[in-house]
Amino acid sequence: MTDLEGLFRTAGVTGFLHAVDVDTGAEVAHRADDPVVTASVFKVALLVEFFRQADGGLLDPAERVTVRADRHTAGSTGVSVMADDVTMSLRDLAYLMVAVSDNTAADTLIDRVGLPEVNAMLASFRLDGTWVEHNCHDLFSSIVEDTGQAEMSTDPALIAGLRALDPARTNRSTPRDMTRLLGMIWRDEAASAASCAAMRGLFGLQVWPHRLAAGFPYDDVAVSGKTGTLPTIRNEVGVVEYPDGGRYAVAVFTRSYGTAQNQPRADAVIGTAARAAVEHLRG
Amino acid sequence: MDLVRHLRYFTVVAEELHFGNAAIRLGMAQPPLSQRIRRLEEELGVRLFDRSSRQVRLTAAGRLLLAEAHEIVARIDRLRDLVGRAEDAVLRVGVPPDLGSAVIAALIAGFRDRDPEVRLTPAEMWSADQVVALLDGTLDVGLVRHPITAPGLSFGPVLVQRAGVVLAEDDPLAALSSVHLADLAGRRLVLFPREPGLHEETLAECRRHGFVPEEVHEAQTLGLVLAGTAVAFGPEVALPGLRWRPLLGSPLAWRLSTAWRGQAGAAAVAFGAVALRVLKESAGMTDDGTAPARRLRSRPSSGFLA
Repeated sequence: MTDLEGLFRTAGVTGFLHAVDVDTGAEVAHRADDPVVTASVFKVALLVEFFRQADGGLLDPAERVTVRADRHTAGSTGVSVMADDVTMSLRDLAYLMVAVSDNTAADTLIDRVGLPEVNAMLASFRLDGTWVEHNCHDLFSSIVEDTGQAEMSTDPALIAGLRALDPARTNRSTPRDMTRLLGMIWRDEAASAASCAAMRGLFGLQVWPHRLAAGFPYDDVAVSGKTGTLPTIRNEVGVVEYPDGGRYAVAVFTRSYGTAQNQPRADAVIGTAARAAVEHLRG
Repeated sequence: MDLVRHLRYFTVVAEELHFGNAAIRLGMAQPPLSQRIRRLEEELGVRLFDRSSRQVRLTAAGRLLLAEAHEIVARIDRLRDLVGRAEDAVLRVGVPPDLGSAVIAALIAGFRDRDPEVRLTPAEMWSADQVVALLDGTLDVGLVRHPITAPGLSFGPVLVQRAGVVLAEDDPLAALSSVHLADLAGRRLVLFPREPGLHEETLAECRRHGFVPEEVHEAQTLGLVLAGTAVAFGPEVALPGLRWRPLLGSPLAWRLSTAWRGQAGAAAVAFGAVALRVLKESAGMTDDGTAPARRLRSRPSSGFLA
């Protein structure tokens, strides 16, 4: 199989990868059990708990909530950047949270679902390496406290001191935990079959083309996923589905040495490493 | 399981008898602390704390363990202390392999004058390898090229090095006194390996100035340049068969600083001061103030929690 270590090194990152055949369990692992900073990838766990609470009748996904424009969480997509109050259903907020990683949508859902409940769900699935420490707002506050500024920095000294980049002190997971959770969603085990189908639909609507999807430039291959981004952190987890029915859950977490925000090689290696792993699984 | 670490957590919780306070003292969140205490309990097969009432209390087994745990943790601390003192006599520093033997010799001589008690052991390593070595504790101080970072690192003042271009002596551009980046169009480029921050930044600067290399090779030596198949960037070199020329407008401002993990020891601080002086005197580097900072324009796809 391709030298994953070499691929990541050439892209200027340290990479953590797990890929698994959703149906046979065959796997490729590269530092797959190391704790990693999830960044927005934690929204996958939040989505699962949201749909489980809907299944249990604890919340109505069609319930409409008003998000006030003066109560936004920092972010550059979706409701987070809208000028006015919006009223939309919880499930549409879930759509924005997955499709464009809308932080305000995520925090609004967290207010309803509860982080202890998300963590209890993770514990019940024995996803012991995964923990949601804080919502997007508190994560952002920790960055502002640590750097003294609200803009994401490229200063090596400021970035080195960020608690938000220490898996012990922020939302964390492991590549293997994330592929296990995705596998459960794709096998209808994470929630009801209808809810799992709805979640798969949302991941398929994610807009970003530069990471996982970039590795599979094939018109007949579906790539569904969720990204995660913070200074030096570029992640994506998702499922790749081939026309012959083969489906593979892949989780790629990277941490770059360089601090530039625009690092096309670091984005692209998520796709190329995922493809190398999936091609290995397909034989 | 790191038993010693778990025992340390246990002693702090036992002293505080409050998970929240203990977590604050340990600088961690409460849930992972609770989780680790539970793991310790699983490992030992006993309950250490009684959490049934509103107050956390030590169980009989917990009280029994506490004295021993204190002893073990104290011994390990002493062990680390001893090892640390033995290692103090040597300062392990990383230096970029392209720095050149004259500069490295000046670093060693300068440091010897300043702190004769401590022996300097320089290792030639590229920045990414230095970062790994700093994090795993096999290096005390590094000299790294920016922008590069990793959690827990600290950096000294930043110096700037104006890179020029290294050409084969029969390259037509060698006839000029200085070269514009755009003049290099169509040529291949050799970049240092394992310099991820510098790599991205240098290529971006080349693109801005009209030089998109046909191919980029990562190589440690200038063999490809000597063979006339590529050009390289770097400080002035005088080697047979090669010509160094400054770049018009000095578009490549390479930044470098010392780096260390955690608290810098006295020897590391002394090395930082020596490095700053030597690199300015012997390697033509200047203070960072001369390099204008670029304003960041964020994009949604690379923004906060995208």
